[in-house]
Amino acid sequence: MNNAKELFDYDSLAFFGRVNASISHELKNVMAIISETAGLLGDLSEMARGGTAVDPDMLTSSTDSIIEEIQRGFSTIRQMNRFAHSVDSPVVSVNLMEILDLVRNLSEYLSFTGKTNLLAGEGAAPMALTCPFILQAIIYQALVQTSQNAGPGAELDISVQSKNESTWRIIFYGFNLKEFEVFPDDRIKRMAASIGASIHWDRSSDRLEIDVPVSLESLPSGTDSP
Amino acid sequence: MKVLLVDDEQKFALMLAKRLELRGIQTAVFFSGETALKTVEQGNRFDVAILDVKMPGIGGIDLKRRLGQLDERMKFVFLTGHGSTIDSSAGAQEAENYLPKPLQIDVLIETLNRLTEG
Repeated sequence: MNNAKELFDYDSLAFFGRVNASISHELKNVMAIISETAGLLGDLSEMARGGTAVDPDMLTSSTDSIIEEIQRGFSTIRQMNRFAHSVDSPVVSVNLMEILDLVRNLSEYLSFTGKTNLLAGEGAAPMALTCPFILQAIIYQALVQTSQNAGPGAELDISVQSKNESTWRIIFYGFNLKEFEVFPDDRIKRMAASIGASIHWDRSSDRLEIDVPVSLESLPSGTDSP
Repeated sequence: MKVLLVDDEQKFALMLAKRLELRGIQTAVFFSGETALKTVEQGNRFDVAILDVKMPGIGGIDLKRRLGQLDERMKFVFLTGHGSTIDSSAGAQEAENYLPKPLQIDVLIETLNRLTEG
């Protein structure tokens, strides 16, 4: 990748747009449920006004539902805020588990995604000086690809391990051949190259491995960074 | 009127079904295209199907096509959380009965009545 600035402009913007579209869809669903529940409460009020007995349990479950959906909405907005701030600094020191947690939450707003389990490793938090936004884009695409092939009922485990002093290894368990036919595509390969990450897979154990440098600054000169 | 309501947002579907039932509309709720398809394959008949466009597995546009093959008389209404032209472009001929979420219940009822009267 010879032009990291261009990469940040196009491929990253596409990722930013896709995630924001999924978040807005999630929020619309939340609002739709609140709207229908409030509408039901309105219907029940009309019935009561007309002299029809209204089941108090229905009122309770309706208000509970509204409260739950408001919490879901707040939670979604929190993830949106985390994501929005991930472009504050192009390169920053981040905890890779936090990056994975955010991407997992964001991917779950897509209707077809299954469950993603983050397996905590031993020892110190896996900190890396990297471009969090590009790393998120790579991991997000890996999750999306897996979910599209495996279906909504599938589960995926991810962990972070120290490969050596200068590299963290993010491992996706349960990746299969179908996913590797389409991931990583050229766009993802360019993104990975721009942050010095390498993507490979272990065919024998169906593992996808993404190696992330502990520090972008330790990369050989000539390696692009955004 | 018998309505088949299919939406993977379970709470939304259940709330909407209650509101339709309060208005005298018999509503069968399904949370996936696959289960809805099965019930029609088993011979259950509905006047109108209200389908969410975006669902895991069989989406609303594809479900409409398959349900239509099983029952030519069935009418269709689409729901979407996108509220844009993205989904309608995927099934332009259905866009006439295309309602964005959050729904306006009066608009839905009016649409259902128009479809069943026609």
